[in-house]
Amino acid sequence: MKIKLQTKSGEFAFDGDASESFLFAGLAAGISLPYECATGTCGTCRARVMEGTAEVVWDEAPGFAKLKRDKGDILMCQSRPGSDCVLRVPSNMTQTDDVSGVPCWREAKITTAKQLTRDVIHFDLELSRPMTFKAGQFTVVETGDVRGGRAYSMVNFEENTGKLSFVVKRKPGGGFSEWLFSNDVVGHELRLFGPLGNATFGPEDDKDLLCITGGSGIAGIMSILERARGMGYFQKHKGWVFFGVRTLADGFYIKELADHVEQAGGNLEVTLALSDETPATEVHPDFPQIKLAGGFVHEATSRLMAGRYSDNLLGYLAGPPPMVDGAIRLLLTEARLAPNSIRYDKFA
Amino acid sequence: MSWKKVCATSDIPKNECRKLWVEGVPVLAVNYGEGFRVMPPVCPHMEEPLDESGIVANCILTCTKHLWAWDLRTLAMEGSETEKPLKTYDVKEEDGIVYAFIENEILYEFEDEDEMDDESFFSN
Repeated sequence: MKIKLQTKSGEFAFDGDASESFLFAGLAAGISLPYECATGTCGTCRARVMEGTAEVVWDEAPGFAKLKRDKGDILMCQSRPGSDCVLRVPSNMTQTDDVSGVPCWREAKITTAKQLTRDVIHFDLELSRPMTFKAGQFTVVETGDVRGGRAYSMVNFEENTGKLSFVVKRKPGGGFSEWLFSNDVVGHELRLFGPLGNATFGPEDDKDLLCITGGSGIAGIMSILERARGMGYFQKHKGWVFFGVRTLADGFYIKELADHVEQAGGNLEVTLALSDETPATEVHPDFPQIKLAGGFVHEATSRLMAGRYSDNLLGYLAGPPPMVDGAIRLLLTEARLAPNSIRYDKFA
Repeated sequence: MSWKKVCATSDIPKNECRKLWVEGVPVLAVNYGEGFRVMPPVCPHMEEPLDESGIVANCILTCTKHLWAWDLRTLAMEGSETEKPLKTYDVKEEDGIVYAFIENEILYEFEDEDEMDDESFFSN
C-alpha cells in the first residue's frame, strides 16, 4: 500500500503494510517522523487521515485522549493502513537514502535473565543481526506471549553489537514485566524495533554531565556511562549521577557504578538516594565509591549539588513522571540550565 | 480604552507566575525580573496549565511538560523543542500596577481552526 505524507517540509511517500504501524514503516523507510514514546502514550506522532482508511491497533492508547478522532486524527504508532493513504503530519521532517542506520525490526533471543532485586530483572538478548545505536536510546520489544510493545532503554553500549542488555522493573499487572518474572524466559524469542529516541549522548557533547534517575531509568544512564568511559570522557569532564531507589536493598548495578567511579579518577560522583529509609552510613557499606543520601532523588540532588553546578552542564533525566518533573524544575531554576541542555524521553 | 488592571507589581515575586481573572478573562501574569508579561494561561503546545507547568528562570519561561520555552524579554522561541510562538497581551506598568490591553480573550487554535485544517499548513 502506498502511504503519502503531507508535511511542513513537503511531501513524502513510503510503502505501507497492513501488519505494520505507520510510524515504524515510515521510520524504516528513512523518514524522520515525529515521535517520543512510540508506544501510544505521548501523542507526539499524531497525524490526520486525509484519504484512505487506518486501522487502530490499541484503541485505549492514552495518547488518543489528546487527539480529535472525529476528524480522522490518529497516533501513527498505534495505527496501520487499511488501504492506500494520505496523511497530514504537522511537522518538519527529512528522508535519508542511507537506510543502514535507520530503525527496523530484528529478531532476538533471550540469553540470560537475572533478578537483581525483589522487583528488578536484567536480561540480555542476542540479535539476529547487529545494531548500532547511540547511548541513551531505546527499542520497542514485543513477544508473542504479551500483546503490544514495550519501550526499554539499552543498558549496554557497544558499536555494531549483536548483544543488547535491558533492565525491567516489575509492575503488578504489567503484562511484559509479569511475563519476565513468571517464566523461565532464557531461550525465548522476541522481536524488537529500534533504535529509537533522541535523549542521546555522544562524542559531540562537550559538557559536564548531571544524570538524575529513578528505578529502571538507570538503564540509559548506564549506557551513557559506558559510552563516556570508552572515550575517556571523564578525563576532561565531570559527572554526577543521582540514582533514586526506595531502600538500600533496592539498589542495583552498584558494582558497575562503583567501577565507573574508579575508572573516572575522581571526576565522577555517584549517589544512591533512598526514599523510604534513612541511610545508616554516608557511603554504601559494600562499595564505598557510592555515596548514600536520604529523600526523593531530585531533593537529594538539590541538597547535595547546591553551589556546585558547573556552568557547562548537560542534564539527563529518566524515571517516573513526577521525578522527571521535579528534576526539570531543579535543572531550570537551581542549576540554571537552558531548556535545550536537558534531555529525557517524553513518555508522558 | 481596554487597558485592564491585572495586579500590583508587588503581588508576584520575581521568577513566579500566577493565574488571575481579569474581568472574566483567565490570564497568566509573569514577573520575569526585568518586567511583566500577561498571556493566556495555557501552553500553546498541548494546553498544559502554565501556572502549574511553567517555570520562569533567567527570563525564560519553560513549560516543564515538553520543554517548550520562550524568552520573555523578546518572546523569541527558545531551545530545540519549541514550535509555536507565545501569544501575549500588551502590558504596561504605572505606579506599581500592571495593566494589560485586553479587548478580546486571546485563544490558541486548538479546536476547529487548528493547523491541520489551515490552508497555510504548507506555507512555512
